[in-house]
Amino acid sequence: MITLESLSATKGRFALHEVSFTLERGAYGVVIGPAGAGKTTLLEVVGGLLAPRTGRLHLDGRNMRGVPPEDRGIGLVYQHAFLFPHLSVRENVAYGAADAATLDEAIDRMGVTPLLARDVRSLSGGERQLVALARALARRPRILLLDEPFSALDPRRRVLIRREVRALHRAWGLTTLQVTHDFAEAGMLGDQAILLDGGRILQAGAPAEVFRRPASPYVAEFLGAENVLAGAARDLGEAAPDWLDGDPREYAQGHRAFAFESEGLTLYAVGDFVPGAGHAVIRAEEITLARGQTHDSARNRFSGRITELVTLGALTRVTVDVRGTPIVAALTTRSAQELSLEPGLAVVVTFKAMAVHLC
Amino acid sequence: MARVLSILAALAGSFLLLFLAAPIAELVGVGGAEGLKRLVSDGELRGSLLLTALCATAATLIGVFTATPLAYLLARRTFPGRALLAAILDLPLLIPHPVAGIALLLLLGRESAVGGAALEMGLRIVGTPIGIIAAMLFVSAPLFVSGAREAFAKVDPRYEGVARTLGDTPWRAFHRVTLPLAGRGLLASSVVMWARAVSEFGAIVILTYNPKVVSVLSYDRFTSFGLSEALPVAAALAILALIPLTVLRALRPDTGMER
Repeated sequence: MITLESLSATKGRFALHEVSFTLERGAYGVVIGPAGAGKTTLLEVVGGLLAPRTGRLHLDGRNMRGVPPEDRGIGLVYQHAFLFPHLSVRENVAYGAADAATLDEAIDRMGVTPLLARDVRSLSGGERQLVALARALARRPRILLLDEPFSALDPRRRVLIRREVRALHRAWGLTTLQVTHDFAEAGMLGDQAILLDGGRILQAGAPAEVFRRPASPYVAEFLGAENVLAGAARDLGEAAPDWLDGDPREYAQGHRAFAFESEGLTLYAVGDFVPGAGHAVIRAEEITLARGQTHDSARNRFSGRITELVTLGALTRVTVDVRGTPIVAALTTRSAQELSLEPGLAVVVTFKAMAVHLC
Repeated sequence: MARVLSILAALAGSFLLLFLAAPIAELVGVGGAEGLKRLVSDGELRGSLLLTALCATAATLIGVFTATPLAYLLARRTFPGRALLAAILDLPLLIPHPVAGIALLLLLGRESAVGGAALEMGLRIVGTPIGIIAAMLFVSAPLFVSGAREAFAKVDPRYEGVARTLGDTPWRAFHRVTLPLAGRGLLASSVVMWARAVSEFGAIVILTYNPKVVSVLSYDRFTSFGLSEALPVAAALAILALIPLTVLRALRPDTGMER
C-alpha cells in the first residue's frame, strides 16, 4: 500500500504540492499528467531518491521517513531505462536479483533471453525498456514504480508486455504505480487513476469514473472529452426515475435533474451539481446520430448538420453543427457507412441526461 | 565573407599550433638524440628522471585518494560554502608557483609548527623527496579536482538512484556504478595531474633544490654549464611528458551513457 499525506517536494523546476492519495496493497495505480506535471518526481519521492520537504509517506503501513531506497522493497523503471553501460545485459538484469529463480522468471516474462548476450549500447529504446523492466522485477519488489515503461515499445510488443506486467502484478501481489501520459493505458491497466498537473492532484479515482465524470473542464479536455460546453445549470428538482436510465440506485443517491443552458442550447442532465455557472461534458461515445426523427428515451435531442467526418480505422468521428455549437459523436465506421453520413447531411443528435456530466 | 572568416580562423589556429609545437619540436629535434644517449651515460639524469616519475606518481596517488571525495561532493551536492570550497581548490592554479613554494616553505619549513613537529618525529620535509611531493601535490591536485568533478557531473545521478533501488547502499552504488562510469574521466584527470607534477619547477626549486627533479636539473645545468648541457636534459623531460599525453589522447570520452 502506498499512502501519501500532504506531501510536498521540489526537484529543480519540478515540484509536488500537498499531494495526498492512497493506493491499496495489490492495486495498480496510474499517474496521468502532461509533461512537467511532476509525475517522475512523485515516483522518485516514493522510491526514496528524493526527500520530501513536508508531508508523510507510508509504504505498506510503514513510515518511510529516513528509510533509504534499498530498504523500501521497491523496483523502479525509468522511461530511459538507465541501463548500466559498463555491464552486459545479463549483468544488468542480475544486478539486484533476489535469487536465480526470480531472475529466470523475470528474463522469461519480459522476453529478454535473446538480448542477454548483446552489448547494452547496441539495444534499441524498446529493448532497453524490456531489460530495465526485467532488472527491476528480478529483485522481486513489493512495490513497482514505472515511469512510462512501455513508451518505446512497438505497438504489438507493448500489448504483450503490458499484459505480462499486469499478470506479474497480480501473481506476485505487487502494488504498482505507473506514470503515463496515455489515458487509454490507464484505463487498460489501472485500478486507480491519479491525474497530476503542476504538481497537484486534479482528480483521483477509478479510471472509468474519472473518464466519465471529470472533476473540471481542464480534466475533461485533458482526458480527451470532445464535448465540453460552458454555461449555467438550473436545478429542476429531484430527477424522475425515468431520467435515470432505469437505475434506481442513482435515484436513491439523491441525484437531481438540471437544465443546462449553453449558447442557445438547453441540455438536460442528472447529477449532484451545485446550480450555477459550470461546464457540461458529453463523451463522443455517448452520442448517437440518426437520419430523421427517432423515438427513444434520450432526454437530449437536437437537429443539426454534419460539418466533418474523420475516419480512424474502425471508428469515425462526426462533427455536427447544432445551432452554431459543434457536437462531436463517435460511431463505428460501419454504422457511419450504413447511415451514409456525409458533410452537409441533416441529422438528429441524441444523448441521455445521464450522459451529461456537469462540473 | 564566410570564406574570408574561415581563412582567418585557419590562419589564427595555424599560428597558435606553430607557436606551441615549434619550440618543443626544435628542442626534441636538436637535443632529443643526445638526451636519449645521455640516458645511458648520465647517471644523474637517469636518477633525476626516476625521482621525478616516482614523486609525480606519489603526488598523483595522494591527490586521487584525497581529492576524489571532494570532487564527488562538489559535483553532486549543493551546500552552503560550496562556491568558496571550489574557489579554494582553484587557488593554487592562480598563484605564481614560486609564491606557492614560499607558502609551502612557511607551512612545512623546519621553523614552522608542522615542519618542526615532523622533524621531531624524524621526518624532514624541506630538501627531501617529501618536499618535492608536497610541491607537486599543491600545484597539480586542483587540475585533478576540476577534471574529476566534471567526470562525476557527467554521470547522471539516476544511474545511482537505480542502483539504490536494486539494493545498493550509497557506497556500493558509488563503487559499482558511478566510479566505473566516471572512470575514463578520472583516469584522464589523473594523467593530467601527473603530467603537471612532472613539469613543475617553481614550487619545487624553493622547497627542494636537492635531490634534483628533471626540471631543476635542466635549470641547474643551464646556469652552471650553459645551453649545450641543459638541452639533452630538457629534451629528455619533453619526451617523458609525451608519454602521459599519448595515454590521455587514447582515452576516448565515449562512455555510452544515456542523458
